[in-house]
Amino acid sequence: MTRLLKIAFRDYIAYVRTPGFWLSILLMPVGIIIFGWAPLLVTQSEPVPSLAVVDFTGQGYAAQIGKFLKPASSAQKPIARLVDAPGGPFADPAAAVAYLKPYVAGTRTLPGGGQLEAAAIIRPAGDSVDIDYWSRNVTDRSGELAIDQAVSQAMRRAGLAKAGIGAQALASVDALSPRLTDYSAKAGGRASQREKVRSFAGVGMGFLLWMVVFTGAGMLLNSVIEEKSSRILEVLLTSASVPQIMGGKILGVACVTATVLGVWLTIGGVALSISAPSIAADLGAVLFTKGMIAYLALYFLGGYLMFATLYVTVGAFCETAREAQTLLGPMMILLSLPMVFMTQAISHPDSPLLATLSWVPVFTPFMMAARAASDPPLWQVAGTGALMFATTAFELWVAGPAFKSGALSTGRFEIRNFFASLARRTGE
Amino acid sequence: MQAALELESVTKRYGDFEAVSDLSFRVEPGKILGFLGPNGAGKTSTIRMILGLIAPTSGAVTVLGARDVRQVRDRIGFLPEERGLYRRMTPVAAIAFLAGLKGVPMAEGRRRARAMLEEQGLGDAKDRQIRALSKGMSQKVQLLSSLAHEPDLVLLDEPFSGLDPVNQQSLEALIRGLAARGATVVFSTHVMQHAERLCDQVVLLAKGRKVFDGTVDQARSAAPRSLVLEGVFDPAALAGLPGLGERSVEAADEGAIRVTAALQAGAPAQAALMAAFGLGLDIRRFELREPHLHDAFIVLTSAGGRA
Repeated sequence: MTRLLKIAFRDYIAYVRTPGFWLSILLMPVGIIIFGWAPLLVTQSEPVPSLAVVDFTGQGYAAQIGKFLKPASSAQKPIARLVDAPGGPFADPAAAVAYLKPYVAGTRTLPGGGQLEAAAIIRPAGDSVDIDYWSRNVTDRSGELAIDQAVSQAMRRAGLAKAGIGAQALASVDALSPRLTDYSAKAGGRASQREKVRSFAGVGMGFLLWMVVFTGAGMLLNSVIEEKSSRILEVLLTSASVPQIMGGKILGVACVTATVLGVWLTIGGVALSISAPSIAADLGAVLFTKGMIAYLALYFLGGYLMFATLYVTVGAFCETAREAQTLLGPMMILLSLPMVFMTQAISHPDSPLLATLSWVPVFTPFMMAARAASDPPLWQVAGTGALMFATTAFELWVAGPAFKSGALSTGRFEIRNFFASLARRTGE
Repeated sequence: MQAALELESVTKRYGDFEAVSDLSFRVEPGKILGFLGPNGAGKTSTIRMILGLIAPTSGAVTVLGARDVRQVRDRIGFLPEERGLYRRMTPVAAIAFLAGLKGVPMAEGRRRARAMLEEQGLGDAKDRQIRALSKGMSQKVQLLSSLAHEPDLVLLDEPFSGLDPVNQQSLEALIRGLAARGATVVFSTHVMQHAERLCDQVVLLAKGRKVFDGTVDQARSAAPRSLVLEGVFDPAALAGLPGLGERSVEAADEGAIRVTAALQAGAPAQAALMAAFGLGLDIRRFELREPHLHDAFIVLTSAGGRA
């Protein structure tokens, strides 16, 4: 086993043998599931709010509103439950408001027990109607929108009936809708679920790549900082060459990130196969056809090498994470930009801005992964790939001596020392 | 005989600063060399040049017969001044890993690590994480990790610092053992007693320049012997005594004084002593004090620093 492999093996084992490592990678999917299900859990755990409708128009809008409060499917909960307004009937809207306000505010309870969360006072206003909607939670607009839609529909129907259009004609007019068929020019036929899965897969892989690259680079940074601060790097330099040390560390953490990725993809794949088998099948087909895996692997490799080299070199100059933050803080802000643009690749994969950003080497891996679904032209794939690997090769060439210089340096981290060591190499 | 280590007119500059100037010395195989000098003398730069970590600005370094130290890297053991190991590794794993980088197979490295740890009284700690060990124990583990591949040349940068007297003694024994099996040991230190007891050869550096290269006895001869006279007398009376140089006076017991006077090179102490008694001075005690390496260190580095 060469020195490079020995260093890689040590680093790999140092990470994967800790319980914290497995705990953190298993908690990540759990976190994603919780993040996805949290809104639904909140909604499901909340009781159905009570709504009282006081209608002064005599048009029977309450019954119409009741229909709009019903859930769209059996799995969902109704928007609200209609209850009789306590204290009714009222002489006028002002009396209704005055009486119902304490109930909505929660200072009084309904006669049978329970709270009144909202009350709608509907009153005539010439040919139209005015609705005063009182609620305890003004940020939840679902009840308000349901009432608006229900009353609007009832008013339109009443207007059309008044104009002489019968109930049967109205029903047939309501039933009219065009038949829309979705075609894909690239597929040359009807747009399939697989094509949509492809778009999301590209962007998903872009995000995954971003996350894994920076997780790995962060691990490398911490590992090198530990070795620098304890002078282990100096001992390593007496036993192995700089490329062997850097290569070993980069390979070791690459194996760690591959393990992380493998665990996440396995969990994700199993979860998707159980919850949405057809999407899982389409995703599998997308990833394993047209060289998609190779395409993503190419940019994954380039991206990881580029950032890992940078982080390893910075780490060699720093004795604490805070020192590294001095240099990497501003850089991280810049490198967060792909996160903003990657989501746009779902609907605009060929936008000129995204295509241009793909040519910036530090953004290339993420932007090209996100644009995978649109099948970027071969010249763009070859060009951006070549530029990315050329940048990485240049970075490795500059970073070697800088890494050694940093590893042997003592004292506080100085940005100018870091750049001076890079400049020395380029000036040779 | 081919030297285990040879430096020929080695100079190292960092910009305008000259850390090491025209340094030459050689060490024969199996010898113990003490590399002495005050802080900033250029010891660490020299050790780094020997290890090939930095290149000399001019001059040549030959290590175990090779001009390119990378060719003999596996035959060198190195203990840096500032120490540390992977905190979450066990001593056995750490020693085996570092020996592995020097070409020792992993299983053999583990076997050697266990044996060395047992021998050094660290058998109980061999499977504990290094972060759980005391400072002295982890320093010992690091020393062992630099020796597990049985190097022919061992470079130890301030190996005694931070060790308690018992561990210092066992380190001395370890260094003697290394030399006994034929390894060449070069160590830097500020503690002259260790160098005095251990070294076959000492090299003294001051401000990047070599100020001495030779045996401990030769070094000691660079410092003057001194004559100590204790009694009740006027120290000015000693001014005319033959062969005495600089004097220092301090109070002694029962109203007496103690005068320590440097003897000029080649001057016999007896002549000064006889003259003192001839003057009728009330001398109650006298002593001829041979110089220690510490005295030589001060004399030589001061002279080198002034040069």
